[in-house]
Amino acid sequence: MMSLEEISQKIQASAKRLLTEGKVEVVIGYRRGSIPMMAAPHFARTEDDCNQLIWTSFARTNLAGYLSKFSGKVAIVAKGCDARSVVGQVVENQILRENLYIIGVGCLGMVDTELIQAKEPRLYREVTEDITTIKLFGADWNTNIVKEEVLRRNCKTCLSRTPKETADELIGDEVQPLPNDNWADLKALATKSPQDKLVYFKNLIQGCLRCYACRQACPLCYCPVCFVDETQPQWLGKSNDEMDTLTFHILRAFHCSGRCTSCGSCEAACPMDIKLREFNRILEEEVQKEWNYVPGLSWEQKPPLTTYRPDDEADFIK
Amino acid sequence: MTEYIVKDKLTFLRALASSGYNLIAPISMKNKIQMAPTDPDKVDLDYLNTFLSPKSLFFPQTEKMMAFHKDLTKSDAFVYKPLGLDQVKPSVIFGLRPCDAKGLSVIDKIFQNNRFTDPYWNTKYEPSVKIGLACLNPGPNCFCTAVGGSPFGEIGLDAITLVRGNGFGLKTLSAKGEEFLKNTSGLEIGDLTGEIADLKKKVEASLPLPLDLSKVQGATILSIFNQPHWKTTADRCLNCGTCTFVCPTCHCFDIQDEQDEEGGVRIRNWDTCMSWLYTVHGTGHNPRPTKTERMRQRFMHKIKYIPMKQDGTCGCIGCGRCVQLCPVNIDIREVAKQMNQG
Ligand code: SF4
Ligand code: SF4
Ligand code: SF4
Repeated sequence: MMSLEEISQKIQASAKRLLTEGKVEVVIGYRRGSIPMMAAPHFARTEDDCNQLIWTSFARTNLAGYLSKFSGKVAIVAKGCDARSVVGQVVENQILRENLYIIGVGCLGMVDTELIQAKEPRLYREVTEDITTIKLFGADWNTNIVKEEVLRRNCKTCLSRTPKETADELIGDEVQPLPNDNWADLKALATKSPQDKLVYFKNLIQGCLRCYACRQACPLCYCPVCFVDETQPQWLGKSNDEMDTLTFHILRAFHCSGRCTSCGSCEAACPMDIKLREFNRILEEEVQKEWNYVPGLSWEQKPPLTTYRPDDEADFIK
Repeated sequence: MTEYIVKDKLTFLRALASSGYNLIAPISMKNKIQMAPTDPDKVDLDYLNTFLSPKSLFFPQTEKMMAFHKDLTKSDAFVYKPLGLDQVKPSVIFGLRPCDAKGLSVIDKIFQNNRFTDPYWNTKYEPSVKIGLACLNPGPNCFCTAVGGSPFGEIGLDAITLVRGNGFGLKTLSAKGEEFLKNTSGLEIGDLTGEIADLKKKVEASLPLPLDLSKVQGATILSIFNQPHWKTTADRCLNCGTCTFVCPTCHCFDIQDEQDEEGGVRIRNWDTCMSWLYTVHGTGHNPRPTKTERMRQRFMHKIKYIPMKQDGTCGCIGCGRCVQLCPVNIDIREVAKQMNQG
């Protein structure tokens, strides 16, 4: 298996090559964060910048959301789910394919720091990682944690860990999906009564601060004005009223249906640890069932809910 | 100032709860430690700090300020009447970390000063008795000492305690604290001076050195305002506002009116300078048009404006919450260093 250092070096080399050859103006990737278990999005334009690019399991935010902020040619370091979001940006006309270069990386999954701390609650001073393991160092102790045991939920069920369909180049080994069923828990939810579902959803959003960090971290949420921020008319109250909060989450999920790639950026950004991807997953499954559509795997196919054809076979739409 | 020895933690917490005050203390909620009203038996003292800052005790995320009804048979239909300003049962807050207590005192100077008093803050903050818990084991992202604080800091507290065997050492810090504690059962007068001084020195030594902010202090607002690093850092900022919601000194709010068939309420909600909506004018003009201006505002406020208005006290008290929770690792210490470099 290729080590984290080797993958990082290859990313750096590729970034330098693309910049020197003038193929792109900037390479978007990650660099080491200022604190343990944290990576920072990084925009490399010079050789020095390139030397800071790393591959890590502590990446939190999907980088695809940054693409539309650049007008020139851009390269992006992308794991499977991120590459799918990047494709989404092209399919939805947010960026031009010809301005884009995808450095794909086979991904063994990102880790959930909450799970790490649940396993090792003692106060760490330093944290290191290699490709399969995380090592925590305290004042007079250290612990190894196997990454596969603390993966983010979306990484456990990811079916596109290597972006081989769409990347312009691939770094690292091709990674196979884990044998987990993404929809197992949704089956139980589907059998609940509407009242019980409402209770379930209300519990899910308990503690939500209405900060919208989830929306800001989501590469799909690029609307210049989000419906929750509209003031004329104001669709939604601004307090922590349960129904207003629930409306935000449900409407956002509908806006993302057939587009969400389960990258987990929203949940990773949420300060309150709200598992809001539940809303998206339900619709993700529906879209897959109804239209056999998985977002972000093809440059041509549009998300089913954003297309309209006069000869559509469903007649409710005519 | 009196120093006491508290033999047993639980007996002491029970005494606080039966003092005629509401006991507020750290408890575990949804796997996170939060400050909340509680039974003494449920208090969790094994915590680094509360997950969210304690500001919500006095400045909740959503607060109903006024209400009116639409019953036209009554003469006060459609007249707003204030809510939540009646004399409430005061609280005794146990377990505040010194950084957060200092943070509350920063907001206090903004919400009540010689120009105005915010009654919603004042009614809750003023009568409450705040008992701190000194930090013997600071966390990896704590930096109170970098911004003028201390794990044994006393600002904003009526008394401070430190864990000592099965009990606490306790020192009163204000007349209010003195008065409140003098009748509490289970306290013995003791002498902690040497012990506190030793521990304070030891724990402080494990924390970061003071940040050099001398140039920020000397520089004009405009010269810092126009520094080139703002744009570079803001490039990765998501304007998600997490930093502001979790910060013990961020205090911006928005006021909204809501109504239904029967009546209406005026509500104050937390707001964030990271949002474009926060500053957009009715005309559509926005004085902070991009995320660079919005992000700059937060750091200027913390590191330049608050110190200017509060005799040099930094607006960041070094709790580390935003550093830990910012999804893209914008670290206020790094920003402060850049501001100081000019
Ligand atoms: S779900 Fe989390 S990130 Fe989204 S608005 Fe609520 S608290 Fe913020
Ligand atoms: S938490 Fe970080 S990304 Fe979010 S607004 Fe604050 S600085 Fe920006
Ligand atoms: S700016 Fe960050 S570290 Fe400073 S007081 Fe606020 S949340 Fe804590």
